Amino acid sequence: MKAFINNIAYDFITGETILDFVRRIENNKNAIPTMCQDNRLENFGSCRVCSVEVALQKDGPTKTMASCHTPVTKDLYIYHNTEKIKRLRKNIVELVLSDYPTDKVFPAEDKKATPFQETIAQIGIPNVRYPEGENHLELEPDRSHPYIKSDLSQCINCFRCVRACEEIQGEMILGMSGRGFATNIIKGFDETFDESACVSCGACVQTCPTEALTDKFETKTLIADKTVRTTCTYCGVGCQLDVSVIDGKIRGIQAPETAEVNEGHTCLKGRFAFQFYDHPDRLREPMIKKNGKFEEVSWDEAYDFIAHKLIDIKNRHGADSIGAISSSRATNEENYLMQKMIRAAIGTNNIDGCARVCHAPTAYGMQESFGTGAATNSIEDLKQTDAIFLFGANPLKAHPVTGAKIKQAFMKGVTSIVVDPIKTSLAELADFHLQIRPGTNVAILNMIAHYIIKENLVNQHFIDAYTEKYEEFKAHVENLDMDELETLTGVSKALVRKAAIAYAKSERAMEFHGLGVTEHFQGSKTVMLLSNLAMMTGNIGKHGVGLNPLRGQNNVQGAADMGVQPHQGAGYMDVNNPENQKYYAEKYGVEKMPEFEGLKIPEMLDAAIEGKLKALYIMGEDTIMTDPNTNHSIKAFENLELIVVQELFMTATTRMADVVLPASSYFEKNGTFTNGERRVQRVNKVIEPIGNTKPDGQMVIDVMSRLGYDQPTGLTYDAAKVIEEIADVIPFMKGLSWERLGENGLQWPIKEDGTDTKMLHIDGHFKKGIGTFHHFDFEESPEISSHGEKYPFILTTGRELEHYNSGTMTRRTDNQTILPKDVLEVHPRDAKEKGIKDNETVRIFSDRGSVHVPIKYSKNVKRGVLRTTFHQPEVFINLITGSVGDKETMTPEYKVVAVDFERI
Amino acid sequence: MANKNIRSLSSRKGLDDNLFENIAELSHKNAPKKDFQKLAKRFLVDDSVIVGTSSFYDFTREENRAKKIHVCSGTACMVAKTQTNLQKNIEKHFKKEEIGHAACVGHCHTNNAFMFDDKTFSAATNEELTEILSMRGQSGTPNNSYNIASNTTPVLTSKIEKVSNFYALSEKFKANPQQVIQELKTSNLRGRGGAGFPFWFKLDAVIKEPLNATGEETQKYIVCNADEGDPGAYSDMYLLEHQPHKVLFGMYMSGLSVGADTGVLYIRGEYPDSIRIVSNAIQELKDNKLIGNFKFKIIRGQGSYVCGEETALLNSIEGLRPEVRVRPPYPTQYGLYGKPTVLSNVETFANIHWILENGGAAYASLGTKLSTGTKLVSLDSFFNAPGIYEIEMGTPLATVFNEFGKGVKSDIKAFQLGGPLGGIIPMHKIEELSLDFESLKSNGFLLGHASVVSIPTDFPMIKFLEHLLEFTADESCGKCYPCRIGSFRGMELLQKAQNEDYKIDQHLFADLLETLEIGSLCALGGGVPLPIKNGLMYFKEELNQYFTSN
Ligand SMILES: Cc1cc2nc3c(=O)[nH]c(=O)nc-3n(C[C@H](O)[C@H](O)[C@H](O)COP(=O)(O)O)c2cc1C
Ligand code: SF4
Ligand code: SF4
Ligand code: SF4
Ligand code: FES
Repeated sequence: MKAFINNIAYDFITGETILDFVRRIENNKNAIPTMCQDNRLENFGSCRVCSVEVALQKDGPTKTMASCHTPVTKDLYIYHNTEKIKRLRKNIVELVLSDYPTDKVFPAEDKKATPFQETIAQIGIPNVRYPEGENHLELEPDRSHPYIKSDLSQCINCFRCVRACEEIQGEMILGMSGRGFATNIIKGFDETFDESACVSCGACVQTCPTEALTDKFETKTLIADKTVRTTCTYCGVGCQLDVSVIDGKIRGIQAPETAEVNEGHTCLKGRFAFQFYDHPDRLREPMIKKNGKFEEVSWDEAYDFIAHKLIDIKNRHGADSIGAISSSRATNEENYLMQKMIRAAIGTNNIDGCARVCHAPTAYGMQESFGTGAATNSIEDLKQTDAIFLFGANPLKAHPVTGAKIKQAFMKGVTSIVVDPIKTSLAELADFHLQIRPGTNVAILNMIAHYIIKENLVNQHFIDAYTEKYEEFKAHVENLDMDELETLTGVSKALVRKAAIAYAKSERAMEFHGLGVTEHFQGSKTVMLLSNLAMMTGNIGKHGVGLNPLRGQNNVQGAADMGVQPHQGAGYMDVNNPENQKYYAEKYGVEKMPEFEGLKIPEMLDAAIEGKLKALYIMGEDTIMTDPNTNHSIKAFENLELIVVQELFMTATTRMADVVLPASSYFEKNGTFTNGERRVQRVNKVIEPIGNTKPDGQMVIDVMSRLGYDQPTGLTYDAAKVIEEIADVIPFMKGLSWERLGENGLQWPIKEDGTDTKMLHIDGHFKKGIGTFHHFDFEESPEISSHGEKYPFILTTGRELEHYNSGTMTRRTDNQTILPKDVLEVHPRDAKEKGIKDNETVRIFSDRGSVHVPIKYSKNVKRGVLRTTFHQPEVFINLITGSVGDKETMTPEYKVVAVDFERI
Repeated sequence: MANKNIRSLSSRKGLDDNLFENIAELSHKNAPKKDFQKLAKRFLVDDSVIVGTSSFYDFTREENRAKKIHVCSGTACMVAKTQTNLQKNIEKHFKKEEIGHAACVGHCHTNNAFMFDDKTFSAATNEELTEILSMRGQSGTPNNSYNIASNTTPVLTSKIEKVSNFYALSEKFKANPQQVIQELKTSNLRGRGGAGFPFWFKLDAVIKEPLNATGEETQKYIVCNADEGDPGAYSDMYLLEHQPHKVLFGMYMSGLSVGADTGVLYIRGEYPDSIRIVSNAIQELKDNKLIGNFKFKIIRGQGSYVCGEETALLNSIEGLRPEVRVRPPYPTQYGLYGKPTVLSNVETFANIHWILENGGAAYASLGTKLSTGTKLVSLDSFFNAPGIYEIEMGTPLATVFNEFGKGVKSDIKAFQLGGPLGGIIPMHKIEELSLDFESLKSNGFLLGHASVVSIPTDFPMIKFLEHLLEFTADESCGKCYPCRIGSFRGMELLQKAQNEDYKIDQHLFADLLETLEIGSLCALGGGVPLPIKNGLMYFKEELNQYFTSN
């Protein structure tokens, strides 16, 4: 269908607005000026400067319409630059300027123009003919927030911030108050940013076309030497960031609107928490502990020391006396090199990663069910789903950008089911919240399956055509006693039934799960039962469905892909298989590969205590702080002959090391991260390495070389070249290359020609040929059966938005001002029974030890359940966590700890 | 469409536990902050949503929560100059901070109007006032009587003999929505709220709305716009209070036709009696089981003129800020809580029974070809016989004013017909005009809602225009730039020209009017230039002194 722009006919797209049409045809995003419009927001129509004249016939009588919210219709004649329109725009600007600071009309000399300044310059800046009248120029700025400030005297009431807060972040912190000329932006209950419940995402700042809302870095108006796009290091969402650099220093971060993953959004960690990078605490020189004290040494000395020691230990105790822990925060290339060093240069499979403490059960369980241990679908599928089943995850805190998208869907009324012992804000919004007792995941999933079968809501066709062992599963759950499970889980069976029906009846249902699934005694089993749920309802292999793990750290997926696992090498090939050993040996150019699978982290620690493991090489992990049962870890470390740690900062782990190597942060190196939807994205070097640091990958190459293995891509770490090697080794990454990754990355499998994959197991064609049902009984965690009586409370741990894991980075930014401490959430009645007041510090203790922590009354936990976070070293919660782990993968059960607490 | 999340959260509790009513209730109680916060939490929205809404309305905003009595500040009372005296009298009984304002309480026929104790009154003297105040808390309907007559077959003003018989007509049409639409189409009934949009079209559009994703019939709504905000207009008030069943039947029949099970009446808070009478009428229907499962809900306005604008009205019911929405989508597609909605004016709905009873053709034979049927006209107290008159469309205005209004009491130089956005008709043009959409429009005026406010000869036109801009600035929702800033600057200009040695740059003023007219999002900002231009055109001599000459 055609419409006319200045009397020339063009094809338009159905539903397209006049604004989009004209912009597209004229290929000029400034073809029509706008103020209140933002491509990411719903059209609003407040500023009216986008007005155009339209007529139903050529040069016929016209009407003036706002182009941003008026759809093009057939044979419409559009005149967007007539004298009348130019006059209107200028007259509107004149009105706006009558209530706008005169010294902000033009950009200051050393600053970039704001979008508003650009727009008025484009329209033509009029003389303000109105006599001075009432205005808002005296409004006081709000500087209460560590990152965000407002100066509403510059506000032009475009509502973009209000809409961004609601439509992008899913909060409603910003609002408008009053009416008419007296309308005013407010925060929360008309209070300051700091007092409001603002989650500091910065969406409002980024969209504000003036400097009414700015961040403390004034990112919007920075004239940067360069802006480098890179991938955020803070979680598995993998947001793209535009980092501005002036004089070699990072000065601000914006979210690129063209990023497929985050579409111009981030959370406060990605956007604001970068100041750690040149914090005085950064390690800047290699150090060796001599006589119990660290001394700065040269790189050569450090390397020689390490190589000498490793070779010595290997000679004396064999290669299997050496182990390594790689990092889900490091790049793929670095993880690849690390596992290669351990396997090819040292000759053992004792390589594991921090995925062990988080998502190993996901990888394992999904491989057992489907054949691939990765998200089946993409986040963009949220736009197409009818139901979201969120199990044991709080993405608003841990995966904020995906969390915000899920929240949007919840609010807009998609069928929503949350299983979580905590009443998270998503749980509160959900149609169904199954608030289980921690540790009863298998029980609740069995209940759900039971009701789906009982209600006859299974997709028999899918089951018959694409899966096996359904009948055994069915027989198993059919016969379970629902009353018993109701008591166990603490969730009414009527509610479970309703939720099960809602899930099964949805045309397309998407499952998401987090550490609340994996960090359990029955973690892998729970993953397999979640897989069952998807299979039995046919929710696999199309858009808007599937099983989508919310990956903890930014590169958990990548580290596993690269072979940071003791039983599988790069690309998930079983290392026990001689064929595979041959394959790897050939690829790595070595004679032979180690023959048997290696030790998992908990096994390494046990081996150390037993004296079998002698050396541990750690890349970017604070094992002491983050692994459970700290005293046990310390004992293991004390027994080692050599501990090497590559790190950014001094941590509990580096303190115990013999050699500490200062690592460059992700701003200081190239590489790739793989996000939770299998998307390999570029990490681009933004600045030169700080001090005398080196990228982790460089250190590994250097050590490897001294161990007698020269990395074939050269002795200088070059991510692009390492990627070529990875593409050659990992079959499902054949088409991977630095060039092809472009701005938005590629989702594996990546075919040789570079086409990538949004969705796995299309139409039920499982990677492993056929989907397999498993069935399990609920089993009480030994933690509860052995200690539950003595320690009657269940402690479960989680994360807060402001911090990342042990907080080494975020605690060294203003995020620490926003959230300075860990607290223990306790049901008020439980606390009151013990005579403990809100905010009082208590001693919480388990069979392993005790810590002190301030409590917070909270009805988000049920009675008998306690929740805390593990971001601050002061609390060191892992002194009390236990050694129980997932049976299959040994992932620790952080989510169920038998404890008690008392006044101090 | 903005605010989808808040709208959706509000719709979870819907009309029964309505967000807007909750906010109003807390405001009236002058509840502490924590109660508002609890409400926000209960609706899973942030505090800013609640504050945003409560700060919008005259009767809910914080600074007005202590007001005990509201003096009418409407146009008719203003030109009648009764309010200064009334205010003085009231100040004898109340502290200044207890006295608020209401923009027209529907006593335009007697003036001296105010609202007190959830009732409206007129009191010309302190004695009358004292007596009224002394009756506080007593039930009963205060006197608000005016003339009622018709110059043709009474469609709207005829008496209903028996309510059950009246509703029996629905049985005949229940099963045949297409026939309802056909009759309405034949009748050419056009919206009486001002825009004159063919009514059948809305029913047709809502019927055609597809089933929802799960194949079930979508929730649909009927909404009656009873926010009659035009100062000077009280014809909807007449219908609500004297003919509630005509209105309710129209909504009910519309609901049956399009598959909507709920009808919402948005009645302005300045009409407390209307609310009581309509709710009694609804109770009567329920008691007599005359409307099956159909549900009626009354939402009480909280003092805002822009809520009469249809999309602002929908937002208002939802508890959102009543900022005008962009269109499309139209309410027929995306109306109340985002669902397909038939939204029309009180008087529009009130015509439906007669049309279905007598046939669309009979209705079309009343009035002119393009403006069929009758129209209620409300005359203010300058007429010798103020009141509500049902006038056949096309009747000469002079007939209405002289035969029904019995002429005016004092020297009048112009009439504003159709509310604050309606034209200012100079006395000498009355003879040329008739009461219908076309005659008024083609002469540069508007039919609007057909209220008539007289402008006395001694009332300065500049003051009248200032009043119009002040009203617009006060009532502007504040969303679009031309209206939010422009109406305010316009008001300032007119004030400055009167109070200081200052002349308004006439080019600037012309630019301002054009910007308002073509730039505004809705007909508030877009409409106010019309009467102002009328004023400038017909009262040049009076106004010239305030403007520069070139
Ligand atoms: C500022 C403004 C105020 C309005 N006030 C009213 C009103 O009080 N009553 C009304 O019925 N329509 C009012 N309208 C018109 C409505 O937007 C809408 O057109 C009307 O209710 C539709 O019903 P109808 O088709 O039956 O006329 C107003 C419009 C504007 C722009
Ligand atoms: S920073 Fe984010 S949450 Fe806070 S007000 Fe801005 S948009 Fe809302
Ligand atoms: S603060 Fe910025 S984004 Fe918000 S309304 Fe004002 S100018 Fe627009
Ligand atoms: S013209 Fe604009 S600001 Fe005025 S009431 Fe309409 S939408 Fe609101
Ligand atoms: S860009 Fe269209 S009204 Fe602002």
